[in-house]
Amino acid sequence: MSAPLLSVGDLHISFGGVRVLQGVNLAVDRLEIRGLIGPNGAGKTTLLNAICGMYRPRQGSIQLDGASIVGRKPSDIAQLGLGRTFQTSQLFKGMTVLENLMTGLHRQTVTGFLSAGFCLRRGRDEEMRTEEEARRALHFVGMSDFADRPATALSFGQQRVVEIARTLIGDPRIVLLDEPAVGLSINRLTELDALLRRIRDQKGVTLILIEHVIRLVMDVCDRVTVLSSGRVIADGAPDTVRNDQAVIEAYLGKELRARHSAS
Amino acid sequence: MLLFSYLLMSGVTTGALYALVALGIVVVNKATGVINFAQGEFFMFTGFVGWMLHVQFGLNYPLSFLLAVAVGFVLGMLTDRIAFRPIAKNDIVSLVLATVGIGFILKGLARVIWGGKADYLSFPPITSPDPIMVGPLMVIPQQLAVLAGTIIIMLVFAAFFRLTRAGKMMQATADNARAALLVGIRTDRIYTLAFGTGAAIAAAAAVLTAPLTLLYPDIGFAFFLKGFAAAVLGGLTSLPGAVLGGLIVGVAESLAGGYIHSSVMELSPFLVIMLVLVLRPSGLLSFRKARRV
Amino acid sequence: MPFGRRNVLLALLAIGAIVPAFANGYQLFVCNLVAIYILLAIGLNILVGYAGQLAFANAAMFGIGAYATGLLQVHLGWPFWAAFPSGGLIAAAVGTLLALPALRMSGLYLALSTLAFAQATQWVFLHWENVTFGAGGFKTPHLSFAPLPVDKSVGLYYLSIVLVVLLYLFGRHVVTSRIGRAFVAVRDSEVAAESLGIDLLRYKALAFGISGFYAGVAGGLYSALLNFVAPEGYDLFQMIIQKSTIVVGGMGSIAGSVIGASIIILVLELLREVKGMQEIAFGALLVGFVLFMRGGLIAVLRRYVRGWEEPLRMTPRDQAQALAQPEARPSAADK
Repeated sequence: MSAPLLSVGDLHISFGGVRVLQGVNLAVDRLEIRGLIGPNGAGKTTLLNAICGMYRPRQGSIQLDGASIVGRKPSDIAQLGLGRTFQTSQLFKGMTVLENLMTGLHRQTVTGFLSAGFCLRRGRDEEMRTEEEARRALHFVGMSDFADRPATALSFGQQRVVEIARTLIGDPRIVLLDEPAVGLSINRLTELDALLRRIRDQKGVTLILIEHVIRLVMDVCDRVTVLSSGRVIADGAPDTVRNDQAVIEAYLGKELRARHSAS
Repeated sequence: MLLFSYLLMSGVTTGALYALVALGIVVVNKATGVINFAQGEFFMFTGFVGWMLHVQFGLNYPLSFLLAVAVGFVLGMLTDRIAFRPIAKNDIVSLVLATVGIGFILKGLARVIWGGKADYLSFPPITSPDPIMVGPLMVIPQQLAVLAGTIIIMLVFAAFFRLTRAGKMMQATADNARAALLVGIRTDRIYTLAFGTGAAIAAAAAVLTAPLTLLYPDIGFAFFLKGFAAAVLGGLTSLPGAVLGGLIVGVAESLAGGYIHSSVMELSPFLVIMLVLVLRPSGLLSFRKARRV
Repeated sequence: MPFGRRNVLLALLAIGAIVPAFANGYQLFVCNLVAIYILLAIGLNILVGYAGQLAFANAAMFGIGAYATGLLQVHLGWPFWAAFPSGGLIAAAVGTLLALPALRMSGLYLALSTLAFAQATQWVFLHWENVTFGAGGFKTPHLSFAPLPVDKSVGLYYLSIVLVVLLYLFGRHVVTSRIGRAFVAVRDSEVAAESLGIDLLRYKALAFGISGFYAGVAGGLYSALLNFVAPEGYDLFQMIIQKSTIVVGGMGSIAGSVIGASIIILVLELLREVKGMQEIAFGALLVGFVLFMRGGLIAVLRRYVRGWEEPLRMTPRDQAQALAQPEARPSAADK
């Protein structure tokens, strides 16, 4: 039984007196797809933000592959192989799709400003390799035709896919996805489901996703953690969690009923 | 001790002036979330207008004061229409550059209309120039007028924001413009009101101070920096903070100038701004919301 | 692409190269000034247009470069050829320090603190009289281009042109590399940039440093051009002029910096009689462009003329030029 890839221990986070996370524990294994659900305001995004280094916890531990990452800069944590997508589109609007992807390779490349500025051979070679790899990644997500489109010219769903591709291209070990399915139609949901599995199976990436689309969570996740009011109230296989009383009371029941009556 | 009390008094009165400039900055920022980089030029330009009315046209002081304030208000409204409204949704760079541009237009206009390159205009004293004794301190009555004016303006605005509907609407708009729109607040009118008021305050400050100092076209920027230092010290959305900040900057500057060297006085805004923004961005009296993603 | 960027700029360069043959002293001076402002504009564009740092300290860097170059010669007896690059490096170092506040604030607050910093720099120029000679300024030693048989103004002009070409190319290569993309990433989304491993402090410091270097070099040239250094050339008005060059030219475009600087100097010289008119003109330019032509002239050019795009990566044509071999890869997607 190998150690978990990511483990969070007794995490406490407060903002100006408001306790957003109270004693959260989480252990995600290698190659797992973990769902993170819970009602609005439960602290899910805060948890992701803390893991990737944007917030500093008052108390608690966060370990990536056994090494503590608490208090480190987000860019350092990213360099360790942790990727992340966001609720709102964070594509670089001043770039094309291809350039966005090439930026995703930042941590894998080394050309400095002097090598770049003086147009040294090494820099040029690396630049060409970067472009090739970006095109390959674009192909993996089926969007080769969009290479030279400005990022702003994409539809919302397309932007989502490019963002995921951009995060993946840097070969992360683990990716945190914040509501990847928001705004997607039923067809797209199926595609996303397949894409997430492919990412885990073919690229060996561990995934943690925050989602409100319960169907996706139940289908694609190996385990589900439920957060409510800053605490973990359930943690286990999707079916177990689905039937957990506490969860149903806190969240699932109302959600399911609402979704059934809406769809 | 006498030196200290003199410096203190001098610092308090210049501080009151900075407080007024800061108030103008804070009022606009409270309603729009934006810093008006032309605030210093509003001050300068309306000061010139006041001079023109009082000295050239011979109108009496109170009338010149009121007219200058009215001109200020109009200037503010124009700035809102030209530089803020069309760009409000764009990035911050455009907004800053637009207000800076307006400031320069005003400065150039003042130079062209009222004077050559280095013309310094002097405003005749309004109250008696003879100092009077207030306790152990020697004061010029005009300084007391500036102080009184500052306090009155601050009280008026505190009441405005807290008690009137318009004031509350301004706060709401600053907090969340979209939500304000949804509840029926005419946010565009609020913005215009804010800019106009901010400029009017600058005008009041200018005409109050004009008898105490010389007017020249480049005076705007120095006052803007000091006013901003005061505003940021007090927390950019706090009115009493602006006044407190102004007093602190004024007194600190005066004391440093008296005890260390007069040239240090020019350095004060830089030091204050850097220290506050780096060490305690929320200022002394207000709290800024954390950035949420 | 007959009127594309490459051809137009080459044509401008060709014209620039033969200016000394037919221009009088004043005209040569103005052209030299254009070269200096092109350097300023490129550096500023990298910082503000590409990296998105709304900083108002470039004029101060310009001044630091000028003062450093001049003072190293006057106080320490260094020759121009040692003082000049040192001036650029000193300005770059000071600029880099500004990245520290840039980490903690952005937008308006950064603008204001860099503005305050610029004021402080002016204050130092004015009051540290032992070193900087105060308000009156000081004369720099006469510059000689011996053993080359050119007089100072022509020699300085060609030096400026050469530097413009070199620093233009350097700038373009930097922005079409991963560095340039990192800058734009920092500008467009700091959180996403960080999540990709881009260290904010490092890249902001780099952007500030590069723009500081360009401004410092420009300052050194300026000090030699005037043979004189005084505080008033590096004030807020100077900063506004520089901002105008990138607003008019187009932010986020190196070629735009060239265009913007040229036009601004033209306006400046046409109006030099009346300072008030200069201020009104610049203010109006700023407001006008911000309102009606946010993308600057480059945006207009790109809409009507082909060949002015500036992607953030090497295109096959760049690669072919660089490799000096015909490009064999079929990448038809690039146009």
